[in-house]
Parts: sequence; C-alpha cells; structure tokens
Amino acid sequence: MLISIVASVALLAYATSLAGALGYLGLETRALAKMFLTLAYNPGLRELTAMAPEAVTAIVWDFRGVDTLYETVVFYMAIIAALAIYRGVPKVGGGGGTGLSLIVRVVTKLLIPMNIAVALSIAVHGHLTPGGGFQAGAALAVISVLLAVVYSFSSYGRVGIDIPKAVTLRSVGLVAIALVVFTPLIYSLVTGAQAYLMQNYVKVDSGFSFPAEVFGQLISGTLIWLNVAEFLAVSFGFCIIFMLLSLREEVIRPALVGEEHGP
Amino acid sequence: MALNALERFLLTLTLYNLLATAAISVYGIVARPSLVKKVISLTILGDALNVLAIFIGFRLFSIPPVLTPEVELSYFVGSAVDPLPQALVLTAIVIGLAVNLFLIFLALQVYRLYGTLDTRRIRELRG
Repeated sequence: MLISIVASVALLAYATSLAGALGYLGLETRALAKMFLTLAYNPGLRELTAMAPEAVTAIVWDFRGVDTLYETVVFYMAIIAALAIYRGVPKVGGGGGTGLSLIVRVVTKLLIPMNIAVALSIAVHGHLTPGGGFQAGAALAVISVLLAVVYSFSSYGRVGIDIPKAVTLRSVGLVAIALVVFTPLIYSLVTGAQAYLMQNYVKVDSGFSFPAEVFGQLISGTLIWLNVAEFLAVSFGFCIIFMLLSLREEVIRPALVGEEHGP
Repeated sequence: MALNALERFLLTLTLYNLLATAAISVYGIVARPSLVKKVISLTILGDALNVLAIFIGFRLFSIPPVLTPEVELSYFVGSAVDPLPQALVLTAIVIGLAVNLFLIFLALQVYRLYGTLDTRRIRELRG
C-alpha cells in the first residue's frame, strides 16, 4: 500500500517533469509580487508605499490590513469559545505542587528573561526583520507553559497572573488595535478632512498620515503599533488557553459536566 | 535561466508529495473514528496546504523579501520571492490555530461528557 503510493507519486512527478507541464514554476516572479516588492519600501512614492522594508509585514498590516484584522477576530472568538466552555469553573488557586528538580527550575529562571527579550525584539522589529506581533506573542506564551510544567500550576498565583488578569491584558491589546484602526476616523471627525479607516500614510485625496520615522528611526507608521498591540493580545490569549488546559481535572470536572449528568 | 532535468523532477516531486500528504490527511479526517486522530489529520492537512501555498510562491536562486540597505531596489524586485503567499499563509496559520484550539476544547468536552472519543460509540448514545 505505502510502497505503491510512493511509487505512483514518484512516477507521476517524473512524467509531469518530462512533459514540462508545470511551466515557469520556480523561476519567475508574478506581476503582483513585483508590485508588492516595489511598494513595500519606496520613499519616492509616498502615496502608495507602506514604508516597511519587510514586504510580508507590509502586506499583512498595510496592503491587506483588514484581512489580518478579521484574523485577529477569529482568534479572539476561539478563545471566547474556550472561556465559555469553562464558564462555571470555580476560581482555583494553590494546589501545592513543587514542580520539577532544582536544576530545571534554576535553568528555567535564567531562560525566562531571555525569552521575554527575544519576544519583545521580534515584536518591535516586526517591520524591519522577519517576525511580527503574532510570532512574538507565540514566543512569549512559551513562558506560561514553562511555568505550568516546571513550577507547577500554583506558580501562576506567585507571579501574580490569573485568568481574569490575562483576559484584561488581552483586551487592552485588542482595544489598542481598534484605536490605531479608528485614529483616522477621529482625525476626520475633528478636522473635517478626508481620511480612511486603517489608513497609514498620505493618500492622493487625504492628508492624514502616521509618522513613518521618529528621531531618525524607521517605525513604519501604524505597523509598529499594530505589531505591539497584536503581541499583547496574542501572548495573553495563548496564556489563557494554556492556563485553562493546565487546570486540574478533578477540580473542574464537576462544573463542566453540568446538572444533567449529575456531579 | 533554464532548469535541468533533475531540478525539474525534484520540484515536481515536491509538488506531488504535498498533494499526496493532503490526500492522506483527508483520508484520516474521513475514515478514522477517533476524534483526536481527526484533529491531528486536520492539522496535517492545513500544514500541507500551507507549504503548498509557500511552494507556489517560491522561486529558485532567490533572496528573502526583506529589503536591506545594501540591496538595490531593482535587484530586490527582480530576485526576491513572492511575499503574498507568505502573508496569506501567516493569516492561514493563525486561523488554523484558532480552529484547532476550538476543536480540541470541544473534543475535551465530548470526552468529559461521554467518556469516549470514538465517533461510532458517540453516535449510538442517546440524550
């Protein structure tokens, strides 16, 4: 079975490659790609460019910004669904676990500051180097897994984070994204000038613009703010998920099974 | 710049390999009775299709789509990979992750309520 699948795939690939049926695959750039690459960082075309040397971030938060906005909404709603399933769970603390051995705990204690530094670096350099808010958030969320595994679940109480706090911090990130998105609207309402939602720089018929550079440092207008806000939202979103998954089963089962099935 | 026969064969093999992986994962989603195996197959399907999208945007002998000060814009446009599939895949990864999270929490809840993850047995349950 397996050998026949492998053989047929290899044979099909060989036949197709002999016929040259895939055309220019792997050699040429599409016209759309050339347009994005030209406009990603191009100070000569201020009405069109995203002023971000990293073309992927320029597409994610500027050219296709609304796409990413709704992606954030989908992630937000998945976490809401998880929280809704766990709605009746009583607030649990303590547990009294001691965690893993001394060696593992000391090494983890040394690793956590480095982890925070790397995550912050990925977030604030998202418009310059590969990376961005989501990747940085995933990097920071590793800490919450490390805390649960290495120091036991009770360590969440010791570092002063619980699920309501994580939900609040995540909402702060989401509100920051909304603020950046609606800033052109506020500008337009106050001054009466033309501006578009999620607008980054000056357009042909709109004078509104976020600063592309501050003190000679390239910050790419909205891109750095959106990356940092997304970083906050995603890292604490993951933190909520890992905290929910590391709750002790015997504590939460009575609340989750419900009245119908008995305690 | 033309490709030789071996390079063409390897590129085509990669493409069919990804399609075969996607097909096998569809089999896993449809035919396996365990909900956990269905979720695992779904992640494999998502990853195979994401790599397929990256592969379509990929080109040989290229540089990453990051403009550095020492690179000329004309050279950059002529030799960087297509950034659009990468951006779309970034979005797809996050959405796939959200869907997987939701399915894992649902599977966990199904196990708590019914005591099994076997769809054949869940189907026979009443109430």
